[in-house]
Amino acid sequence: MLTKRLIFTLLYDGGSFMLSRNFRLQKIGDLDWLEENYGFSTVGYAIDELVVIDVSRQNRNTPQFCEDLKRLTRDCFAPITAGGGIRTLEHVHQLLRSGADKVVVNTALHDQPELVEEIAAELGRQCIVASIDVQKINGVYQVFKNHGTVKVGESLDHVLLKCAGLPVGEIHIESIDRDGTGNGLDLEILEFIKHVKDVPLILMGGIGNADHIIAGLKDNRVDAVATGNLLNFMGDGLARARELAINGGVILPKF
Amino acid sequence: MADNEVVIIDYGMGNLWSVASAVKFLGFIPVVTSDISIVSSAESLILPGVGSFRRAMQELKSASIDQAIFKSLENPKTKLLGICLGMQLLGVSSTEDGFTDGLGLVKNTVTKLAGSNEVSIKIPHVGFNRVQMPKESKLFDQISIDASFYFVHSYAMQILDDFSKYATTTYGQEFVAAIESGQVFGTQFHPEKSQKSGLKVLENFLR
Repeated sequence: MLTKRLIFTLLYDGGSFMLSRNFRLQKIGDLDWLEENYGFSTVGYAIDELVVIDVSRQNRNTPQFCEDLKRLTRDCFAPITAGGGIRTLEHVHQLLRSGADKVVVNTALHDQPELVEEIAAELGRQCIVASIDVQKINGVYQVFKNHGTVKVGESLDHVLLKCAGLPVGEIHIESIDRDGTGNGLDLEILEFIKHVKDVPLILMGGIGNADHIIAGLKDNRVDAVATGNLLNFMGDGLARARELAINGGVILPKF
Repeated sequence: MADNEVVIIDYGMGNLWSVASAVKFLGFIPVVTSDISIVSSAESLILPGVGSFRRAMQELKSASIDQAIFKSLENPKTKLLGICLGMQLLGVSSTEDGFTDGLGLVKNTVTKLAGSNEVSIKIPHVGFNRVQMPKESKLFDQISIDASFYFVHSYAMQILDDFSKYATTTYGQEFVAAIESGQVFGTQFHPEKSQKSGLKVLENFLR
């Protein structure tokens, strides 16, 4: 049977990898730091997928990002998803030529839905992960774009209905409120996914320990959970969390 | 060509970098190319690919890569591995975006993954899944029966009752996870994305 997935997400900004809390970014280390503390050629065996997002807000340098992506993924034989600031089909091709199998689109979902159609026509819908960032305001999940800086002005329910009409392969929902807090995933978000129940769902934001991973993956509406916390799972942290999840009854592949 | 060179066919469809990295990791020399003279004289060929079947066939035909693949297989020592869409292209046809003829190197057809009245499925099929392996297989030699492989696809190759060796996976329906038919091999999953077990499948093909 199809297993669940534990995804590790890296946030990249001009050569550095970032820690995010409620979408505020703090620099942690460069590629060398990452290789020293995670070494994806080995940790690769503890994760089911690696996501790398270029969150640079000024002076995004896509060629440099692509070079770093290549170096990062050279001996990582797991699925790689990349994204951040995708506005053109050529940008998608650059990422796919640098080790990515899939791309994440977030702001373009709202501003250029035609780009999503264009990517799918050429590369198939399975190549596209639709990423939606939400913040709960007065009891309503409001959607944000541009890495959480711009309010879309639509609720999660509306945006998911829109996504249901687009050729996307997966839906990734992140809670801005929980991001980086380590307080656990916001499973209440799952009440809103009725429009996209035919597409695999990834939930992110708030994972601080193995119990949070188990709580997310044991929910039958969730196909994958993602964590981006660079400090929670250093060394063999991911491998240990994975083992705890498997022992806790989550069906994950054994590598 | 040197014995340890592996030609990876570049026709503008998908992630060649990972396939090349995996080939290199296993101690072979990846040659990523769209040059038909190199393809037609290759003895070890990989046809990767993600995306639209129709678009992929157009690309292969317009660059005459299809003919170069046929020519390379005239050499009985040549072996070819199709990965993901690359495996589907080995079939006779696909119903993706209408109806498109494939390379016809195996007799199977490709159709959209479907659930049944009892089981509804999410499309695409994405993630790690197990496969039912054939007995005495080159690709699955020395691979644990509980190994998982990474799949990401919406269309799938149908199983035939022929002399090919099939590995199968069930997701809504049973479909071809891998095929071995003479010189022609294919995997619906991505061996280059399936950690240790995937690398072993790739190594089994290359050796």
